Amino acid sequence: MQIATPLSEEIGRYLDLSTRQIQLTSTNMANASNEAYTREVPNWSENQPIYINGIAQGTGVTVTGGVSQRDRVLNQRLDQQQQLSASSTSLLSALTTLQSGFTPASSSTTTGNIGTDITNFFDSYTQLESAPASNPLRQQVLSSATALAGDISSTAASLNAQQSSLDQSATTVVAQVNAIATSLAQVNQEIQSASPNQDAGTLEDQRQSDLSQLSQLVGINQITTEQNGLSVTTTGGQLLASEGNAFQITSGEVNGVTHFFLGTTDITAALASGGGQLGGILTARDQSIPTTLASLDQLAYGLATQVNTINNAGTDLVGDNGNAGNIFNAPTQVAGSAAALQVVLTDPNKIAAAGLGLGTGDDSNAVAAAALGTQGIINGETPSNFYSNLVSTLGATVSETTTLNTALTASVSQLQSQVNSLSGVSLDDEASNLEEFQRSYQAASQVFTILNSVMASALNLGVETAVA
Amino acid sequence: MRVDPFYVVNLSNSLDQTQANEEQLTQELSSGLRVTSIGEDPVAAAQNVQLLNTIQQDDSFTQTTSLTQGLLQVTDSALGSVVTQLNQAVSLASQANNGTLNPSDLKAISNQLVGIRDEVLSLANTNYQGQYVFGGSQTGTTPFTLNNTSTPATVTYNGDSNVNFLQSPTGQSIQLNLPGNQVFASATSNVLGTLNSLVADYANGTTGSGVADTAALNGALNYVSQQRVTIDNSITRLNDASGAATEEATQLTAVQTNLMQADLPSVSTQLSLAQSQQSALINVIAALGQGSLFDKL
Repeated sequence: MQIATPLSEEIGRYLDLSTRQIQLTSTNMANASNEAYTREVPNWSENQPIYINGIAQGTGVTVTGGVSQRDRVLNQRLDQQQQLSASSTSLLSALTTLQSGFTPASSSTTTGNIGTDITNFFDSYTQLESAPASNPLRQQVLSSATALAGDISSTAASLNAQQSSLDQSATTVVAQVNAIATSLAQVNQEIQSASPNQDAGTLEDQRQSDLSQLSQLVGINQITTEQNGLSVTTTGGQLLASEGNAFQITSGEVNGVTHFFLGTTDITAALASGGGQLGGILTARDQSIPTTLASLDQLAYGLATQVNTINNAGTDLVGDNGNAGNIFNAPTQVAGSAAALQVVLTDPNKIAAAGLGLGTGDDSNAVAAAALGTQGIINGETPSNFYSNLVSTLGATVSETTTLNTALTASVSQLQSQVNSLSGVSLDDEASNLEEFQRSYQAASQVFTILNSVMASALNLGVETAVA
Repeated sequence: MRVDPFYVVNLSNSLDQTQANEEQLTQELSSGLRVTSIGEDPVAAAQNVQLLNTIQQDDSFTQTTSLTQGLLQVTDSALGSVVTQLNQAVSLASQANNGTLNPSDLKAISNQLVGIRDEVLSLANTNYQGQYVFGGSQTGTTPFTLNNTSTPATVTYNGDSNVNFLQSPTGQSIQLNLPGNQVFASATSNVLGTLNSLVADYANGTTGSGVADTAALNGALNYVSQQRVTIDNSITRLNDASGAATEEATQLTAVQTNLMQADLPSVSTQLSLAQSQQSALINVIAALGQGSLFDKL
């Protein structure tokens, strides 16, 4: 009887151990499709043997709990790459919308394209040269001017609308950032109190998941502090969460657009270059759209001013000498002139085709107006070349961002693959573990059966059937 | 090393990309365009703007030339008729000057010359689509008016000396009109003035200064013929410019088509490749999805 008691105790512990292993396996399996979950493996530790009569008696093993399979450096690299990728994705989607206002014309008869509008407008003046007094040709000048002004102003209006919708998206993203920063601070606090010296398991999973979500939204830096704490700053260096404290980004309007502040510091520009979805949105809002809009403004301003000047330098059909009036509304400043561009002339007879003081059959002013189309009137470039440069600049930005985005997406998926290979739950792994644990449970229970029959033989003094 | 247990997710990302690729190719096939947004090929998009600009200019100039040709042809035929009339006047005047005609014949010639003068005057007042051709820039006013009260009768020019030009896309200036004072009433070769003098010369049955005036008329006739050459030159230049513009437009349209149009055989091949890739991926995913160790437990 000296042997039987510790042996049965050990087998009991062994059975218990197998049950716990199976439990851990089932937890892993339950979380197989939970992205935030990190695979756990049981941590074994051998128990101290006890010595009876100088003979070592094994006391088996205990499981000291599951250990999350995690590499925080790898996770951090993934987060960083995700910031860049999210930034370029949101920028690309904004640029894709932006470029739709400048879809290439397929032929010279395509309507709704600023490039063909510009050419049509100046061509209508060339046609007017052939019969300066002709009403249909004058009407054509007016209608091509209206088409040009309409297309420029509606493109500018849609850029403005896109800008304000990006403004709203930025505000929404910032609200999410604030919520996650708060949750991060709470988790930090829990981790610091519950598990200051080692991996915090599922709490750490939650923190990593918060960090990953935050990385999608905004560019961040992570700094590990004592007692397993963590500080998170924006890539510009402003604290979002420091251990148990969260700092909220506030917003306020500056010059008609929403700016973001931490404390009293305006961090808008830092956020724009920082990465994450917010970085992309702010880059599109504060750089891509304003640049394109500024080019359109220059185009509209140059065209309107120059054409108006020419129209006021000639003689029209109704006897105005040098005061025929403006064709386009006169812009007072470059900014905003694209959105405001419209044709104010209604009477085609007030188009001054003749040179100053000359008869209505003269076409020298129409020649001068048509010549604007081939003169460097907009920043030293012809209107058509200026538009062509606008298209190629914007197109190059889109194409650059697309290439960058493809590369970043690939690198994110590679890193994700690496993280998954370490931390992801493989059902095949779990199946083989399950099989193994089941076998060892069976083995342990088999030992019980044998022990039982040994004990029975002993009690019955070799008579097998009396005690079962 | 442990493998990524979620590699099937990556496969479905690839499937996503293949589908996006197919969508793009289908769009190219249906629109026939290779570049449907400026980001796909910024350089081609920019070139497209410039090519279309030139093509449009050329097309528009071709249209303009056909409008202008009417004007020039009317001018030319008017000048042609003037030359015919003046030839006739010169031969009448020569007849009058040879000293064999009696006063009543001379008066008859004077009357015939009145008819010729009126005809030339009306030719000088030719209009095209409501606009006087020889009025300089004053195309809305009758260029020449006759005053019969004095002898010889006088003709007043109401136009100006303005000359219109049409600018071709290549920057040529093509002259579109001849001002009437230059053709019919110039200081050296005054067609209408000389005709009026001749009418007055023979009106009273004598030759008067008919010989000198006939010589002057001959000069004027040559002068009008020379002026006509200007218009003929313009017609030729306009035709050439229009032909050049049409040809340039044709060539550039070919270039633009090459630049922007989708290469259908190549797009179709790519599409069919993408389709094979897609179905291969779907098969792989389906096959992988079936295998699990749990099936064997």
